[in-house]
Amino acid sequence: MTREEAKRLLHAYVDGELDPSKTLELEAHLAENPSTRAEWEGLRGMSAAIRTKAEYYTAPIGLAERLADPVPPAPEHGPRRFTLPRWLIPAAALAGVAVLAWVAATLATRPGEDERIATEVLSAHVRATLAGRSFDVASSDQHTVKPWLSARLPFSAPVSDLSAQAFELTGARLDFVGGRRVAVLAYKRRQHLIDVFVWPGESTPELRLARDGFNLEHFAKNGMNFWLVSDLSRNELGDLARLLAERSAL
Amino acid sequence: MSERKQRFERVVLPHLDAAYNLARWITRNDHDAQDVVQEAALRAYRFFDGLRGEAKPWLLAIVRNSCLTWLQVNRPADLAGFDDRVLEPQAPEEDGPEAQAMRAIDRRMLNDALAALPAQFREVLVLRELEDLSYKDIARVADVPIGTVMSRLARGRRLLGEFVRAVSKAANQAADR
Repeated sequence: MTREEAKRLLHAYVDGELDPSKTLELEAHLAENPSTRAEWEGLRGMSAAIRTKAEYYTAPIGLAERLADPVPPAPEHGPRRFTLPRWLIPAAALAGVAVLAWVAATLATRPGEDERIATEVLSAHVRATLAGRSFDVASSDQHTVKPWLSARLPFSAPVSDLSAQAFELTGARLDFVGGRRVAVLAYKRRQHLIDVFVWPGESTPELRLARDGFNLEHFAKNGMNFWLVSDLSRNELGDLARLLAERSAL
Repeated sequence: MSERKQRFERVVLPHLDAAYNLARWITRNDHDAQDVVQEAALRAYRFFDGLRGEAKPWLLAIVRNSCLTWLQVNRPADLAGFDDRVLEPQAPEEDGPEAQAMRAIDRRMLNDALAALPAQFREVLVLRELEDLSYKDIARVADVPIGTVMSRLARGRRLLGEFVRAVSKAANQAADR
């Protein structure tokens, strides 16, 4: 394989789109050519940088409600707004109804409440990280962490060992969110700290937010509310949420 | 509620975040992105019966079209970023970004650099890295052949690398002083 061809294939390789036989050829080339390898590392680094550092703009909570309003009159930026042809209004109204129902079903009926909890959870995470105090009990053993929490809280938080999935449990602490004491499980992936806040309560719909470069995930399972917060990439945090949901279902 | 509406909610609306993210990166403005997503949701509902296969690339293709329509009406100058004739003469082949410079770049700089890329490169990078779409799905969203997706990704990354190199060079010079 020539250096030109190898360079051309690097992108597909980084993107996981190269077929197996070309992959083998390219890997053989990489093993022998430091300059192509340096370029490959640069591309990989760039991919990782975009994934972890580029802003993922989640739909603002108000947007779903605005979608429910088919012909929003907003004179403050009139000429830049879409105007609907008359014939489209019935369709818009239908879509509006659909969206409204969906909003009621998926977003919390009180988005303000979600926002408030998201803010509290995020502040608690940042405070703990700044103070270097992510946990009060340091242990990667779920059989140490779980009883420690149970002894201090009026509920028993599910604690999962996810080291096989490269989420390392580092410990747990107590925190105060929404006027109640909650369990916080501290996980780690590479150098990223992840806080998982858990408390019992009515289950509220799933939520995914991005705030100030942090990602937040919320879901509820078996009467427990989970809030995950980290500077980990959105996709990886989603993986952890899925794993925790699976484990707590057992 | 009709079965069609229920299906629409179940299939399409979970991708609202992806729709907003794409619209926000193309328009580079929160308010405009909301307008575009609103328009796209209407179109999606109208064309919903034509949906075959996966909903996410289908919806994102509609969002992208809505963005283009919107830009045409409101900010025609921004459409230049989608025109590849302007950019056809290839920049001299340079070495890729240095891994170290990439690791060191901070969040704001990276976001600024990505936002400054011409739209046709910005959109494929967002679809690839933030939405994790395959080349095939990106081709569907951007309405170009897969070969074009590959060359735009390569060119977009080269441009982004040039920016990062320039920024880290400036930072090093400042540090040397």
